[in-house]
Formats: sequence, structure tokens, C-alpha cells
Amino acid sequence: MAISVLPPAPAPVPTAHKTQDGDSPVDEDDMDIDSLPTGHQRTAQNILTPGQLVTQDPQWMRGHGTFNADDSDAVNIRSTLAGTLQKTNKLLSIIPLRARYTPEIGDLVIGRIVEVQSRRWKVDVAAPLLANLLLSSINLPGGILRKRTSVDELNIRSYFSEGELLVAEVQQLFQDGSASLHTRSLKYGKLRNGYFLSVSGMGGGSGVVRAKRQIFTMQTRRGGEVDCILGVNGYIWLAKHLDEKKEDVGINKLEEAAAADTTMYSSQNDEIAAETRAEIARISGCIRALVENGVKVEEGTVKMAYEASLEIDELEGEVSYLGGERGRSVVEMVLSGRG
Amino acid sequence: MPLDSSSYSLAQFSTQAAADGSSYLEMGQTKIICTVNGPQESKRGGGSRDQSNAARIETDISIAGFSGVDRKRHGRGDKRTQEMQHTVSSAFSSTLFTHLFPHSTIAIAIHVLSQDGSLLAACLNAATLALVDAGVPMSDYVVACTTGSTASYASNDEEADPLLDLNGLEEQELPFLTVGTSGGEDKVNVLIMETRVQMGRLEAMISVGLDGCKQIRGILDDIVREHGKKALNSRVN
Repeated sequence: MAISVLPPAPAPVPTAHKTQDGDSPVDEDDMDIDSLPTGHQRTAQNILTPGQLVTQDPQWMRGHGTFNADDSDAVNIRSTLAGTLQKTNKLLSIIPLRARYTPEIGDLVIGRIVEVQSRRWKVDVAAPLLANLLLSSINLPGGILRKRTSVDELNIRSYFSEGELLVAEVQQLFQDGSASLHTRSLKYGKLRNGYFLSVSGMGGGSGVVRAKRQIFTMQTRRGGEVDCILGVNGYIWLAKHLDEKKEDVGINKLEEAAAADTTMYSSQNDEIAAETRAEIARISGCIRALVENGVKVEEGTVKMAYEASLEIDELEGEVSYLGGERGRSVVEMVLSGRG
Repeated sequence: MPLDSSSYSLAQFSTQAAADGSSYLEMGQTKIICTVNGPQESKRGGGSRDQSNAARIETDISIAGFSGVDRKRHGRGDKRTQEMQHTVSSAFSSTLFTHLFPHSTIAIAIHVLSQDGSLLAACLNAATLALVDAGVPMSDYVVACTTGSTASYASNDEEADPLLDLNGLEEQELPFLTVGTSGGEDKVNVLIMETRVQMGRLEAMISVGLDGCKQIRGILDDIVREHGKKALNSRVN
């Protein structure tokens, strides 16, 4: 690959900031809460900053990202975050521009084992606290409905050990905000044969969003099929697709399938062809380009970005690095394809 | 006293993608990079997890050897640096909503690239920006600035002229203090003075400092809004 040296970009031109003199309060642009549509779309274009007064109207309730400035009964809702206002009926909350992922029940997440304890694992899921994965909430080999025994407790490292990656679902939340995970489904479990990628998650900003499908398979041009798992915590796993009967296992056959699946907790990678590796690298480049340019990452955009990158390669010659200018043009094609 | 706002124009927001929040701030020739990681479970070994009901704020200030006029190594155990770290941590502990994140740590890492006065104030302002970027809830911005008093009026206290936002030379010559407030409510989080000054001048210095903080709050707020508008415009739903 040829290395090109880019000329240094000029320093940003100093912009004169208007300063507020004396006692005049910060000019907080008035926002019309009443006209804001209720619901989950990001329609508000007004930025609220920490300490800014949201409303003094007692009809509103304060939600996430807001606080009542003084302890008196007077309603004085102020923002605690930099973000946009979201209205859910009478509840006002602030959606931050960017924040860490906060787990919610049912989220599909990818995590990394940080610590092995006697009956549980501690898993890093990019949340403020490490998540718990109990030994009783994983599929034990040799029958899905088997009861866990003391032998399993002793062999806990044979299932997951430190540093290994897994895909799981948030099963339960605790008082302090930490999550409990489970992998009691054949689509969850240990990850291998692939590539890990960390982008910003559901916390706000661009990145992975909650979608109908977080796990999908892409048909690549040269490298066969590639599995993509988009964890809502911003962790992404791209792996070679393994031909398995995973999808069409009936409920009665679950046991046999699990028993036969001795590879379930294997940490041994299979041989992966160079073409497949190249395609995985291309998809990861596409995802990075999407995130850099503020486009949400979901099945549709990833597939379109992949197609766009192939198209651009045909036009302009093949380059393995999908950053900078090339990344921007990929994203532009994705956006024009949607619009 | 108006603040020379042009020296703040190079404050930037969200400069490092790898951190949860980051900022770059220039106050005159004082240049600072700040990154915030967290809230996250403390990575320290020992097994027993932090049992406190609120997040801890850990500050780490590293001063580059080339940052001052003379090249000097600032070791980890440097008393002045340690004191600044403690000041930054305690300044934010009452303003951040740490009770929302039990058993976790918010790590603030400050790198001083160049120093020319108002170091502590610049550290606090940069940390505020980075914490806003990281999405850590806070009741208001923590902003700080320095004020000094001109020494030439030694006999004439009434006409002693307080200065706002000192540079390195002025700090060496004049008595000065650093005042940090929690935004518009004039709640003082930090007030540090290491030099001596006549009692009569102190009040004027503090009131000028509070006014300066108000102005800096406006500047930081503009930076956050500008960045937010840009982020919203480029965002595609």
C-alpha cells in the first residue's frame, strides 16, 4: 500500500466569542416545550447545557438529565447534561449528545470477561459498572436443561475465562444500575473466528442503535458469508459465518443440538481464508466510516456502506484503507441511496 | 472588567474519540489536554469492590517537561501537582451528580502542554468541558479564573486595581488568587491563594474573580452549544 503524506490542515480560525458582561444572564434561547412532539425521535434542535433552566411550569415532571435547582417546592427544572430535550407526555428528559452506555433489559450486548468468580463472571459491557453473568444463566454443554452441578463450578474457566468475548442479553437490572446477563439461547455464547470493533453505543450520538435485527449475515463478494453482531453497547463482532443448523433447531431438538455442539465453548479459531479476512476488514472500515460521519450503524446502513465501498473500488481502484476522504464518499453514497 | 475572550477561542470539545470525553483548552499560552474516562468500575486489583454510594473522582495531572520556561521534570510525587489533583477532584465532587453512579470511578486525566499562568484555573475549565462531553450529569459548569492585585498601589488601597486572568509573568510578580465557581449561582467551589495581600484588597479581587468566572461560563457555554449544533446537524437519523 502506498503511503501518502497529507499536507497539514490549517489551524482553526479564532472565532470571537461573544462575552456576557456583568449581570445579564446567559441568553438561553427560549424553547417551546408545548410544540415539541412527544415520543422518541430526535426532533428537538435546541441544545440544552448543564445548569440551563428548562422550565418553571409546574405541569411538567422531571426525568433523566434534569434536576430541581432548589429544595423548595417551587418547580425549577434545570438540565444536568448537554443534549436535547425529549418529551414523553408530561415527562421531560435530556438526551445527552454523548454518554456511556446504560444497560436496559433485553439489550443485546457484546462483552469481555474481566474476572472469574466462584459462580459468576464479571463482564465489561462498556457500562458504568461491570455486568454479572451467573453460571446458572449460561447454556451448559450436554443438554440445555441440565442442572448446574458443583463440577461445573470447578470447571468454570472451561466455559469462559478472562479476556474472552461473548454475546449475551441483559436479563435483569439491579438497584445500582449494574446488569445481569444471560446466554440461554443458541444465538448467544462465546465468540470466535472474528474481529472485535468498539464504537460508541446507545448512550447518545452516532453509533449502534437498537434495531429489529442486531445479528445478521452478509453475503460478501469474495469471502463468503460474514456474520455481523451489533451490540447496542457499541461493541461489534464480525466473524466468518459457520454453516450450522443454529436457526432451524426446533424446541424438541434443542437438547440434541446442544449436546452435539461440543464447539460451543471452544476457544480455538478455525482457519480463515485471506479473502474472508479482507472482507471482514472492509466491513469494519465501512462501520468506522459510518461512525466517523455521524450515521447510525444498523443492518441497512452497514450493508449499503459495504456495497458503496465495492462500487467506489471499481471506479477508483482498490484501496484497503477506508478512512478519510474514501470513508466520506462511502457515507455520501449511503445517504444518497436512502434519500 | 472584561475578559480577553480571544485567548479562549481555541477551546475545543470532543478531541479524542477513544476517551469518553475530552477537551483541549488554551488560556493565553497555557495549553491543556483533558480526557475523562468513566464512570466505570475501578480497575484496581484487590478484589473487594468499591462499596461507596457515589462515584469517586480521580484526577491525574501530568505536566510536560517542556511546558515551562525552563525544562523541568515533574515527577508523580510532586507536592504541587498532588495538591492540584486534590483541588480538581474536590471541586467537582459537589457539582457532579456522583450519587447516580455507585461503586464507580470517574477518571480525569489532565496533560499540561504549555504553562503560562492560571494553571489551576485552566485545568478546572478543561476538566469541565471534558466532563460535559463525557455526559456526566452536573448541576452546573465549574469555571475558574485568577485575579491579582497590582502592587504599585501599596499605600493606596482604595485605588489598587485588581487584574483578571493573569499570565505567568504577572503571577510571579503580583499577589493572586484562583477562584472557581459553580456557574451562574456564584457558588464558590475553589478559592486558593498562595501569596500574601492586604486584607482590604481581597474583597475587590474576589468580586472581580467571580465576575470573570461568569464570563468564562458564557464562553464555555458557547463552545458547548457550537459543538452541539454541529453534532446535531451532521447527525442523520
